[in-house]
Amino acid sequence: MASPASPSSVNTAASPSQAPAEKPSAPPIDILPSLLAQTYSYVHPAVLLGLCALRFETVVADPVRELLADLPWLAALQISYVMLCLPPAGTTSIEVGSGADEDKKKAPRSPSGPSVTLRPGKPAYRRKQSSGRSGLAAIWAKLMSAFLSLALTSLLATPMIAVLLVLFGAPLTTHNAETLLCAAHMALLSATGLVYVHGVDGSIWKQVWGIARPADAVWGGALGTGLGAWFGAIPIPLDWDRPWQAFPITILAGAYIGCAFGSLVSRTPLLYGKRIEFAPEQVEEDEKKTN
Amino acid sequence: MIASQASIAEKSEVSDRPPPRNKRKRSRGRPATAVVEPGVVADDIRRPPIAIEKKKFEPAAFHSSVNKLLQLLRTFSGLANFTAVPSDTRLDHSSTMAKSVRASVSKRNRANLRKKVFGPIVDARTERLSAKLQELAAQPKPKAPENAGMDLGSDETADRNAAKATAAADEEMDIDTKSSKTRSQKSGRVQKQQRNRKPRNSIMFQKPASKSTKGSKKNAPGAAKTSLGVSIMGFFHCSWATLLANLMVPVGILTFSSGFFPYKPLLPGLATFDEVNQNATSAVFDKVIFMVVDALRSDFVYSTESGFLFTQSLIRAGAALPFTAHASSPTVTMPRLKAMTTGSVPSFLDVILNIAESDTSSTLAYQDTWLAQLKARGDQLVMYGDDTWLKLFPGMFGRAEGTTSFFVSDFVEVDRNVTRHVPTELAQSDWSALIMHYLGLDHIGHKAGPRSSFMRPKQREMDAVVNEVYTAIQQEPHLQSTLFVLCGDHGMNDAGNHGGASAGETSPALLFISPKFEALASPHESPIEAFADLQYYRTVEQADITPTLAGLLGLPIPLNSLGVFIPEFLDMWDSRSERLQLLSRNARQLLNTVEATFPSFVFGQEAIAASCANGADSGIEGAQCAWSQVLQLLSTNITTDESFSTLESSLLQFSHIAQDVMSSTASNYNIFRLCLGLAITGAAALLVFPATYHECARSTHTGAFLTFMIVGYGSMMFASSYVEEEQQFWYWICSGWTFYLHIRSESSTMGTSKITHPLTLHASKLATLVLAVALRVLRRWNQTGQKFAAEPDIARTFLPAHPAVFWGLIVLTYADAGYHLLRNLPSAAVLKFGGLILTVLAFLFKLNFMANDSPELLASSFLSKVAESWPESLSLILQARLIFGGLVVCALLAVVTQHSPDTRPVSSSLLHEALHLFLMTQSRAANIPLFLLFRVAASILSSMSLTGIEVTVTTLILQYTTFFAFGGSNAISSVDLSSAYNGVGSYSVVMVGVLTFVSNWAGPIWWVSAGHLLRPQRGPEGQNTAALLTFHIATSLVSVMAACTALRTHLFIWTVFSPKYLYTMAWATAHHVAVNLLGEANLYSLRSRR
Repeated sequence: MASPASPSSVNTAASPSQAPAEKPSAPPIDILPSLLAQTYSYVHPAVLLGLCALRFETVVADPVRELLADLPWLAALQISYVMLCLPPAGTTSIEVGSGADEDKKKAPRSPSGPSVTLRPGKPAYRRKQSSGRSGLAAIWAKLMSAFLSLALTSLLATPMIAVLLVLFGAPLTTHNAETLLCAAHMALLSATGLVYVHGVDGSIWKQVWGIARPADAVWGGALGTGLGAWFGAIPIPLDWDRPWQAFPITILAGAYIGCAFGSLVSRTPLLYGKRIEFAPEQVEEDEKKTN
Repeated sequence: MIASQASIAEKSEVSDRPPPRNKRKRSRGRPATAVVEPGVVADDIRRPPIAIEKKKFEPAAFHSSVNKLLQLLRTFSGLANFTAVPSDTRLDHSSTMAKSVRASVSKRNRANLRKKVFGPIVDARTERLSAKLQELAAQPKPKAPENAGMDLGSDETADRNAAKATAAADEEMDIDTKSSKTRSQKSGRVQKQQRNRKPRNSIMFQKPASKSTKGSKKNAPGAAKTSLGVSIMGFFHCSWATLLANLMVPVGILTFSSGFFPYKPLLPGLATFDEVNQNATSAVFDKVIFMVVDALRSDFVYSTESGFLFTQSLIRAGAALPFTAHASSPTVTMPRLKAMTTGSVPSFLDVILNIAESDTSSTLAYQDTWLAQLKARGDQLVMYGDDTWLKLFPGMFGRAEGTTSFFVSDFVEVDRNVTRHVPTELAQSDWSALIMHYLGLDHIGHKAGPRSSFMRPKQREMDAVVNEVYTAIQQEPHLQSTLFVLCGDHGMNDAGNHGGASAGETSPALLFISPKFEALASPHESPIEAFADLQYYRTVEQADITPTLAGLLGLPIPLNSLGVFIPEFLDMWDSRSERLQLLSRNARQLLNTVEATFPSFVFGQEAIAASCANGADSGIEGAQCAWSQVLQLLSTNITTDESFSTLESSLLQFSHIAQDVMSSTASNYNIFRLCLGLAITGAAALLVFPATYHECARSTHTGAFLTFMIVGYGSMMFASSYVEEEQQFWYWICSGWTFYLHIRSESSTMGTSKITHPLTLHASKLATLVLAVALRVLRRWNQTGQKFAAEPDIARTFLPAHPAVFWGLIVLTYADAGYHLLRNLPSAAVLKFGGLILTVLAFLFKLNFMANDSPELLASSFLSKVAESWPESLSLILQARLIFGGLVVCALLAVVTQHSPDTRPVSSSLLHEALHLFLMTQSRAANIPLFLLFRVAASILSSMSLTGIEVTVTTLILQYTTFFAFGGSNAISSVDLSSAYNGVGSYSVVMVGVLTFVSNWAGPIWWVSAGHLLRPQRGPEGQNTAALLTFHIATSLVSVMAACTALRTHLFIWTVFSPKYLYTMAWATAHHVAVNLLGEANLYSLRSRR
């Protein structure tokens, strides 16, 4: 609670994010301080964009096969990125020392927790907590987190994102393979990092669901993925009739670009730690009271 | 005619599906199409590899450059096909080719083409321009279902007795029985029509009557005298800027329109043979039988799959001269009939005037047509078939019987009603023109498509008529000099619809049949293997029919004709001088129209000698040059055969240039007025800008989203594909906004999670999900736009395949509507019972309507029995009137109960429920379940306790989204007319206009009304809604106007941008000013009355 205040109070002084100030929010995630991590954290977005650009032609030619073939590579890339650059789940909360806080948060949440996102993650949560506490080697934590993030990304995030894609207009009766693969790529881009650094902390995932995380490299990348995918839909209706205007390609390209930019931009001091909050909150609150 | 429009409407955007692609293709293809020396048929260019619809004779000087372009076109289309086909699996096969042509060729060559062959393009563009608007004007009118009989009775003055006799004789026809019913209720109808307005309107009129309005008004500034004024001012809440801006918007629209839709002079009067060298050539024929088969596409007659076997034998024998007649867009019946009879391309202003003025102004009664020429000669004309003819030519026909086609499902009766007159008329000798117009084939097209199993039998039926007529011509002595013309007014696309400019739609067949033609010794091969671009034999313009008929019948060419005599028939005259005279008459008549349009250009010999110097071969200079050549040749001594044919070809060349020039004259924009209109609308936007800015600044994120939306929407207007695919923008924005609402509700629940019960928290979390699902279903309900319109959707693919689900949903929707209506009615038993009856009646009306309109949807369901037992007892018109009457009563109740203070929310939702039922009645059956979806979405939104500005943005987005989800698009052919005549006995511009608007804007109107219920009752937000909406509409108008101004030379200006402008006009005037603001003002006054 003190901790969330420190980064965000500085940066978000202007924004009225403190309206629901009682909300103790987990702090933004920093890239690990090591030189390797710092360097690679800048290289990684470039690598992603490079992958996107390199494979673009083949994806256009045969989206399903190419996207499928790229999946392991992307997974490897993302895993190496998170393991190199990010603190695995558990370590952050311990460093921050907000374990108690989390317990508090868990109590009210658990009834509401088993929403769409979180139910299967619950058991894993405890196990990871214990692994963090047992003080095993950092490598072990990293491996566990990496494994967890991969599993959750493929098992949970992919179908979720696929559903979201359909809700946002992806075809339902056709192109199912494309949708699913697009979702898998987007999940790897966005969810791997999130699961790695946050584990299955219900409160944080609630924030993620509510798009209320403070900006950091991980969250920026995830949000950028989504926004990029949304904007990626723009060229589809144009009558240029290029093959790349077919369904998943622009969206996925948007997602890659968005992810790369999001993770970079959200680390800049201008955005770091800020969160999307609602200015009309007060107006609305007032209204509720009057009602 | 009715059939075609009704079904265009019914299938809504379907009809528009392929046009744009081909449209473009055509515009581009046109310059590159077969350009040949007059009189020479170039076989090799006739069938280019891609579907080029239009072939024209154009000056030979074009030849080389055009051939180059053709090469280019081929190359590009080949390339594009190669790359596009494998990956773009979403597009159906047929469109892939068209698409690729459009994509690569159109975009890459645009600049190139514009530079090189500007003239022809302008020509194509204007043709489409006048056509498109013409369609708009023409559509509502031909549909008046019960008009036929009345027209017969009332309009004919000269032959009143004969007409009456005919009408009496035809009592047994269903149409006539309907119209007689209509007449019998006439007395009661007058007052009813007054009340038949939308409930909203009646409230408006009701309001001034109640005096209590003023007393409690808090915010009304000044001392306005009328309560309407009070309510409006109160609503605008000291915001005179908003009021002023809303007054300026229509002014801006009018100013812009006056500059945008140019005027084309029309020569009045009838042509005569009065000039020195215009003596009548000897007539080859003295009678004409003009048989129009609606939507008779060229391949229906000419291809190997045709059922016209006898006709094909005539082609082989040389007794029938086959052509493909290019029908310019809009390919609907009325404009096409105008083109075929006047020979002109109906001008843009005509169309606007047709909308504005009464029904009779659309007639051709005072225009020069070959019918009028015949009539002026004292001949008798008879007509059987589509009653569009009767509307176009009131009083023209001695005997006539119009058939209407209100229900497209009728394949048999419409044609039987024509055919049964044929033997008797063939036996008579008192007429010199017999016109038949068959609708059945078009009905089949609309219902089942060109490949339907009904098509061949129908073609054989038509072929039998041809056989009957031809046999009569051969055998009857009084018919021995009769010309028989068989033609389609337009074609149809692969879905069976028409209205656009695809190859299928613009390529009807045209045959001139007579035993005399065998002497020409020009037999053609027939049948021909079907091919894609449908340009069988030689392609002529549809307008060419007029001068050809005039020439063959020995009539003067109608004054405003832009047609060129079809040179194949020149051989019917033996004397070279007569042939020459015919051509020069045609050329001089065209010259007259050119001179009337371009008074500043002189066509005297000396003045134009120089015009050939700069090598102009098209446009007005090209015409001057060609004319100077003609004059030059005329001055020389014409004796040899060679000099005759040179002169003939130069006359034809001039005629074709003049035809091109004249079809492009409609594009004289008045730039000053364009800019003025733009400035006025811009000023209106600026006026409301401060209020909007204030409103947006107050709620940053929503404001930012709104700004993003307005900017995005505005910039979208400059891209033709986004205009065509506008629904994609709104679906996109809508999903984004749903997401925004999700974040918002999440963040608000986070803030209040301590207080809120976990269960409600849970529910509100799911709420946005459900909303998103609902909107996703909405989005797929009707595929619209151009690019993806052919893809399967719910309304046209899923529901017809699952009638049980379909009818289950409809019953559910009506049950829901009835439940809500009953709940909101005051608790008197009589009223409750009345509400129940009303709902049941509304459902039965829809059922009966469906039973008549699309019985195939009913066939397999249990409801078909209900429908079968019912419809005889009450006519559809009466049913609709009962429903409208009942709804008006509900609306009145809502206003009256307003007086008791504690019923306010109930009564304003009673108003909403009445509107709900009204909009359902005015919607296509396939769209009715959407109202259930609306209900779900609205209840979710109301659970979110949105702020004022959020409600405004939400409903604004949903208004546009639902407009497109109902099947609307920015193409004029997607206007749905199927419900435009509910309860309307005879054509009335206002009633039909209002009903058409309501049925097309049902979704938007619903959300305007729902917006009032969603808006928070207190708080300062409410008042500035008007400013926000006005700002949105003004900026969208500004961007559309700017796009139309900046892109006025764009290829698609008349196919894409100007329809969009017309739609924006409708949004701004009818929807924004009439529905949004007045509705809001009314409700405000109702609200403040407490």
